[in-house]
Amino acid sequence: MPPSSQADDKRQAAREVIDILHEISTLLNTHLDRTELSLCVSLIENGVNPEALAAVIKDLRKETGAASRGLAEQAQQYE
Amino acid sequence: MSARQSARPRRIDDALSQLVDSLTPPLSHADLRGEYEGDAEEALAAAEERRHQKYLERSWHILNSYTSPSNDLASPSGSIAYGVNRRGSLAGGENVNNAVDLIKRKLLRENDSPEQAVRFSNLYSRLLTQPVLSQKWAILFLLYRLSSTDDYEEPGIEESVSRSPQFEPAGLNNMMYKGQRMNPGRSRVMEFSDEDGPAVSSSASQIPARAERQAALRRQQEINAEREPEPEPETSAPAARAREARTTRSRANTGVREPPPEEPKPVQSEQDSEQEQKPNVPLEEGLLRDLPFNLQGLSSSNLQFASTTILNLPPSLPVPIISLLNCLAEPCLLYRGISAFVGSTTSGLLSQSLQAALSNELRSYLGLIATLEGEIRRALASPPDANDLRSATKTGVTLKRCVVWTRDATMALRLMNLIVEEAQHKKGGQLISLIHGFSTSHGDPFVGAFAEKLLSHVTQPFYDMLRSWIYDGELSDPYKEFFVVEPESRPNIDPRRTATSVWDDKYQLDDEMVPSIITQDFAKKIFLIGKSLNFIRYGCGDSGWVEDYSKEASKELHYGDTAGLEASIDEAYKTTMARLIHLMDDKFKLFDHLRALKSYMLLGQGDFIALLMESLASNLDRPANSQYRHTLTAQLEHAIRASNAQYDSPDVLRRLDARMLEYSHGESGWDCFTLEYKVDAPVDVVITPYALTQYLKVFNFLWRIKRVEFALGSTWRRCMTGARGVLGSVDDKVGSDWKKARCVIAEMIHFVCQLQFYILFEVIEAGWDKLQASISKPGCTLDDLIEAHNEYLKSITRKGLLSSSKSSSSSSTSSSQEEDFLNQLHYILKIMLAYKDAVDGLYSFSVAEFTRRQELSAKIETRTAQGRWGLTDDDILPSSARLTRAHKDSVSSNMSPSLAAYTPNLGGDEIGSPVSLANPGDLSADDQMLASLQGRLRDLSAEFRTRLNVFLGDLAYQSNVDMRFLGVVMNFNDVYQPIRKRRSAAGGSSRDKQRARRRAAAANDGATAATEGSSTVSASKEQPARREKKPSSTGGNGNDSSSAN
Repeated sequence: MPPSSQADDKRQAAREVIDILHEISTLLNTHLDRTELSLCVSLIENGVNPEALAAVIKDLRKETGAASRGLAEQAQQYE
Repeated sequence: MSARQSARPRRIDDALSQLVDSLTPPLSHADLRGEYEGDAEEALAAAEERRHQKYLERSWHILNSYTSPSNDLASPSGSIAYGVNRRGSLAGGENVNNAVDLIKRKLLRENDSPEQAVRFSNLYSRLLTQPVLSQKWAILFLLYRLSSTDDYEEPGIEESVSRSPQFEPAGLNNMMYKGQRMNPGRSRVMEFSDEDGPAVSSSASQIPARAERQAALRRQQEINAEREPEPEPETSAPAARAREARTTRSRANTGVREPPPEEPKPVQSEQDSEQEQKPNVPLEEGLLRDLPFNLQGLSSSNLQFASTTILNLPPSLPVPIISLLNCLAEPCLLYRGISAFVGSTTSGLLSQSLQAALSNELRSYLGLIATLEGEIRRALASPPDANDLRSATKTGVTLKRCVVWTRDATMALRLMNLIVEEAQHKKGGQLISLIHGFSTSHGDPFVGAFAEKLLSHVTQPFYDMLRSWIYDGELSDPYKEFFVVEPESRPNIDPRRTATSVWDDKYQLDDEMVPSIITQDFAKKIFLIGKSLNFIRYGCGDSGWVEDYSKEASKELHYGDTAGLEASIDEAYKTTMARLIHLMDDKFKLFDHLRALKSYMLLGQGDFIALLMESLASNLDRPANSQYRHTLTAQLEHAIRASNAQYDSPDVLRRLDARMLEYSHGESGWDCFTLEYKVDAPVDVVITPYALTQYLKVFNFLWRIKRVEFALGSTWRRCMTGARGVLGSVDDKVGSDWKKARCVIAEMIHFVCQLQFYILFEVIEAGWDKLQASISKPGCTLDDLIEAHNEYLKSITRKGLLSSSKSSSSSSTSSSQEEDFLNQLHYILKIMLAYKDAVDGLYSFSVAEFTRRQELSAKIETRTAQGRWGLTDDDILPSSARLTRAHKDSVSSNMSPSLAAYTPNLGGDEIGSPVSLANPGDLSADDQMLASLQGRLRDLSAEFRTRLNVFLGDLAYQSNVDMRFLGVVMNFNDVYQPIRKRRSAAGGSSRDKQRARRRAAAANDGATAATEGSSTVSASKEQPARREKKPSSTGGNGNDSSSAN
């Protein structure tokens, strides 16, 4: 089946791209896993500003980090 | 269209929400402790949902904040408050590479090895081949952005407790600064760093441009900051570090610990902090940064070259640093000088090779500077201890250390500079000598080794020249640097080399240019080798051999291989010399020529000379102007054919020629005749034209002696044969005269024989023996040959009384001495000839007397037969003429041819002067003639004795043993009293007086005292006396003038 094989090819290519990008991202210590990376790729492919996306990710990381930290501190206070 | 428009946001939405999900850790029960105990699951989900929504909204907010103001993807400027607006041109295509570059630089900067960058490059190239992605750069940019978070995330997580939302953009901004190094306040520095930062080991060629840029940068900053010129950071890394250090310090000073390092530093505060830090920046650091450039002879803001020999130091420095800089200024200045020399154009291969060698050394010096620069950079780049002003000390590079590190290089530079200075006016061998002097006679082993190293480079062209010289015999020296020179104008001062001699004048050894790596002996050898090769090639026409030889023997010569060089040169020397001698002997028959010269020119071939003289005698008696060349050559040919000379090689005989010298009026053929031996091209190197004239001189002298001997011999023979017949009968009248004449002739013959023997055997043969010995030596060279031959000729001419070479006496006396010997001998020989003529006259007189008596007795006999008185009175006087004439025919028939020549004269005279015959004083006329003859003979013998005494006196005081011995041999029984002439004080007149007195005494010793004759002679000089005598004798019998002179 040509269409399916085409799709297979496409997926194969996409996986390869993600592989490469993942390697680059590990080189750069971005702490992104494969799913996050592929999500980012799809977002950017859809026209999201990469700078903005980077800002979002950082922001989210900060938030979650702060939140967990804050909770931890709260817990300490309780004890 | 609309569907797709809506589809896209939805997909973005999905993806974003998934992303948010994946980024947010799941909430645990602990997080919600005590809130919703009952439906924990539900509450958890709800909380998660809430949080998800919250984050999502926030994300959307951020995204929108980027995208809404402008559709330009690449322009993130929108909500960001300040600082980024200038980045508006971060657009499209150009940023594809931009992001890649940024990542690369980041990787390079943050990692020690370029490994990661290389890996990234590989990955990137693979990514480019993938067709799937359309926004590759954007993804990379995203990754890049995220990567930079790393540095901040950690402290951020640790330190930040809470952050106000409005602080966020600023944080982002700071991140961007960090990442892109785009700070408006420091843009220049940053740009510079981005360009050149990684290129720590920049090549030397970039240095000037870079320095320029730095200068521009510094200027800019000075203008901006309006500060005193202080060393400014030149490299990005140190600059950034320093700034960081400063910011931390400033923060520490103000007590604000809280703001993390990644916090935005507004330009204002940055500048403030810089201003605050300025005085604390160590000055040494700046000087260090400049140092590599100074060491390459470039001016920097602190150290400026006023001229090639002056380096200005900044005046406001502390003394220790000044002294350090003084030390460091030396290599700077030396380098400048040497590089100027290296760059200059010089003529001369050796100077060029010196330049090359020096530039080699300079290259290693630059290598040292490069490592030094690396060290300095690393030292300045390493994170300095905050607040420690002497941080450089700990990191390892200080000015002092630089001084120590450059010490060796400075020594080398100093030496090179010395060489350069001294090499200005030297060239060729002198240059080598100069450097060789350093390598051998300098006490410092460092200097010696260095010069040695230079020498091996510098001497290369010299050895190339040497090689072509000793193997090809060619002088390939376009700049006149070799120690063999080809003189442009051949000096023609030396009369001995009037003709151009290929051997002597083509090349000359220039002692000035002989480098000290070669000894003088060696240089001579080398000179001789090349000269011989050249001579073989051009003089002897044997270039084939030279080419073969150079092909098989030629090899590379190098400095340092002294033993090998000597061996090869000795080898070459032997080969060429042997070849040259072989050529001279075999091809050009040099030794045959020498032998021929000896046997013909030096009268070695006795039978030939005797025959030649006999056959030429009658011819040469005639005046010089009646001599013809063809008769001479015919006689020569005859002499050759009839003597042993016919067995000589035709080549030698061909060269033998007879000719007349330039003659003046009144000379006889004897004076002008000469033999000649012609010598041509290569052999004339040994037998030079000068030598040929010497040979000619010797020949003429010997020929003269030979001729006198010949004449005396013929006279002696005649009087011996005559004594038995003619002379015996007139013994009563001329017997005593003849006796005396015989004595004198015997004396003369003795003299001539001794002289001839001396010259032929003591002088020529001895010289020849020496010559043979020296030219048959095994290691004989052409120079030796020439030398030996010259010595041979010199000894012949000197000992052969032709010239004097008394080196002890001054030139004037020696020349007068020379004149003396030759003139004395010539005069003595002349006297002998005159005496011989006189004796001939006496002989004819005797014969005439004999004839008369014969006639008389015949008459008496016939009268007696007729029965009359044999002798009557009238017979004696009037009839004598008639009788004489009658007898004439009978006499002429049985007289010898020479005597016959006189008789017609005798008869003619008597016929021509009937009056005198009729004169009653006929007998008295005869007596008068006899008396004059006697006087003449007496005078001449006295003259001969006197001359001989003087000559012997001179001989007795000769330095040469052989010449003294000649004197002894001539005076073996002390017959003569040698007179020592007083040379200096006695003038000509006193000498003449002395001589006259002596002659008078000698005349008094004679048996018969003819007072009037001796008085005339003693009163006047010899020559006038002879002339005075002549008319009287010719009047008597004219025969003696015919053979005189």
